[in-house]
Amino acid sequence: MHSSYNRLEPRGFYWFLYTIPALLVYIFFMAYPLLDSIRLSMYSGTYSNMTFVGLENFRKIFFDSEVSTRYVNALLNTVVFFLYHMLVQNVLGIIFAVLLTQRGKERRNSIYQTIIFIPTTLAILVTGYLWKLILNPVWSKNLLDAIGLSALAQPWLGKESTALTAVSLVSCWQWVGIPMMMFVAALRNISEDIFEAANIEGANRWQVFWRIQLPLIKPVVGIVAILTFVNNFNAFDVVFAMETANGAPGYSTDILGTLFYRVGIAGQHPIGIPNPGLGAAIATITFLMLIAGVIPVLLKTRTKE
Amino acid sequence: MKRRLLSWILILLLAVPLLTSCGQTQTQGENTIKPDTTSVAPNQPDTPKADEKVVLTMGSWRADDKAQMDKLLAQYTAEVAPNVEIVFQPTNPPDYNATLRLQLENGTGPDLMYARSYATGLELFEAGYFGDCTNIPGILDNFSDSNLAPWRTPDGKMFAVPFAAVSHAVYYNKDIFDAAGVSIPKTWEEFIQVCETLKSKGYTPLANGLADEWDILECFFLGMLPNYVGGADQRVLYENGTKALNDQNFVDAYTDIASIKPYLPSGFEAVTYNDSQALFSSQGAAMFVDGSWTISVYDDVDFNWGVFAIPARAGKETLITFHPDMAITYNNASKYKKEAMDFLAWLCTEEGVKKASASLPTGFFPMIKFQITLEDVHANEFLALNNGRKTDARFVWPALMDLYTPMDQAVISVIKGDISPQQAADNVNNSRQ
Repeated sequence: MHSSYNRLEPRGFYWFLYTIPALLVYIFFMAYPLLDSIRLSMYSGTYSNMTFVGLENFRKIFFDSEVSTRYVNALLNTVVFFLYHMLVQNVLGIIFAVLLTQRGKERRNSIYQTIIFIPTTLAILVTGYLWKLILNPVWSKNLLDAIGLSALAQPWLGKESTALTAVSLVSCWQWVGIPMMMFVAALRNISEDIFEAANIEGANRWQVFWRIQLPLIKPVVGIVAILTFVNNFNAFDVVFAMETANGAPGYSTDILGTLFYRVGIAGQHPIGIPNPGLGAAIATITFLMLIAGVIPVLLKTRTKE
Repeated sequence: MKRRLLSWILILLLAVPLLTSCGQTQTQGENTIKPDTTSVAPNQPDTPKADEKVVLTMGSWRADDKAQMDKLLAQYTAEVAPNVEIVFQPTNPPDYNATLRLQLENGTGPDLMYARSYATGLELFEAGYFGDCTNIPGILDNFSDSNLAPWRTPDGKMFAVPFAAVSHAVYYNKDIFDAAGVSIPKTWEEFIQVCETLKSKGYTPLANGLADEWDILECFFLGMLPNYVGGADQRVLYENGTKALNDQNFVDAYTDIASIKPYLPSGFEAVTYNDSQALFSSQGAAMFVDGSWTISVYDDVDFNWGVFAIPARAGKETLITFHPDMAITYNNASKYKKEAMDFLAWLCTEEGVKKASASLPTGFFPMIKFQITLEDVHANEFLALNNGRKTDARFVWPALMDLYTPMDQAVISVIKGDISPQQAADNVNNSRQ
């Protein structure tokens, strides 16, 4: 590495020219919109009539009770939504991956792997709608009565106490395939020799998992955690598909994504006058939270060279 | 040294978009004034020659009406303006306001579009997107003052041509009513009695649910509210603060909406508007408190049904929520303003409204002064509910739109039993600014 750097050195920094296309794409499609939305967060009014208000939008989010009630509620719901994904989606992802990388059962493994991965390829608007019907006693009651599970015919999505759990679990069901695939890939990378050695030493399945597999896929665990964190704090579609953009019932499934959509893009039904500045402020805070969350995890799970 | 140069280049690259974006805000501000000044002279180069066909687009939130509107617009091309073709491009109803606003802000808005009444529409006019309709021939003469009011600015300008109103009532399954031996209730007490009888005979009395949140407020609560607060003359007293939003009338209204809980479908908390429609049309529920716009949904059902007014408490007057809902306006930035305005002028003539209401979706009632008879039996039945009764717009629409969400949440909570009727009324009153 070091030597090749030296070899290019006499020709100056021409290598920089090769990065320009990517850099331009990055600047205009990533950096600029990001910086522009930070700029937008300091304005109020609609697009046609914006005035600079400094940090007023941020003050509102935390101290204006009308906005802050909704914001704090959405933030807490998002944290719960995230915890469900960490505990259910990612833990299931690891369990499935360990089961599906057992040697000598390749045929069975690949069938199950496909089945578990299929929901990931479907649009959440479709699966969300299907789950909305399945979880609705008006349509599922007869079937549940017939198989003796009448107690399950509850309006899961209509009660404040269960709606967020139901939505989170549907999202976990949908996306469990992604962490599973990543863990499968990581587990397959572990050298066969280590397992043989462990076998000779008399390690049981449990010890192999805790002492060998988990430590060796630690970087992937970190990546999956970061991806889950980023995706969940930006989530919107599953709630929109299953519980309307209001985060019904009674804002119990209102997450940062739906709050941002209502405030910054759609406006509150039925008037629908959005406040892009306030919306951008919500997005900016989310962005800062993501940065604050991602960097330490990245540093911590980075394997030493 | 080189490294420093590099970082300078990077900073420069980052700074350029920042600087240009700062400049953009200023030009954006100027843009808003522009459409008004150009409104006098439409874009000259785009004015079509006589033999060329002009294609206009029409935005709408009425996705269900595509077939009817296509027919009406084809009729307009065939009989009135051979060189103008209008294409109907509806949006999913809950997304209409957001989508339209986005289109208008980006300059991709339709040439003609449905305009919401009161503040929602007014806001788009004041932003310079809707055209000024005050001078469209016939508009001021052929509509009554109360029908113009929802689309009139405080200084008397019209921002859209009134197109249709919707009504609110109770849909009921005549077959189930006959089988259960109940008849149309004349008072709220009788209504609850009918629900009780139906329930005791194993029917689900009401199809309404809470999941979509808007329908329980707009169709049911605001549909019955005039029975408690009185007509437009009383509504004004609440708007100007003479009467409080937690007075006895409101407590009564919340008490009565809370009393329907036992008669809603099982799991009503998760029942959406579509579920309610499906329940009523599959005879899974005997009644559905809904708006007139769904009449055509039940065209093909194999049972007899009718509508009756949401009854007032005994001794009180029953009113109808007859809500000015749709108007059509034109895009101030359209290339074909003249053609768009000609179409709107047609909608201000008796001839045009007759043609329009013949193919106007059932359940939408013309607002023009002339006498118009409707073909659909159920639509006539619906319109007949107005006979001899006072009507008013939905309570919050004219001036109290800020109360929409608080009132919606209050209605939902009071039905679920989380708060008392008095608390519901107090919550709404307290959220008034």
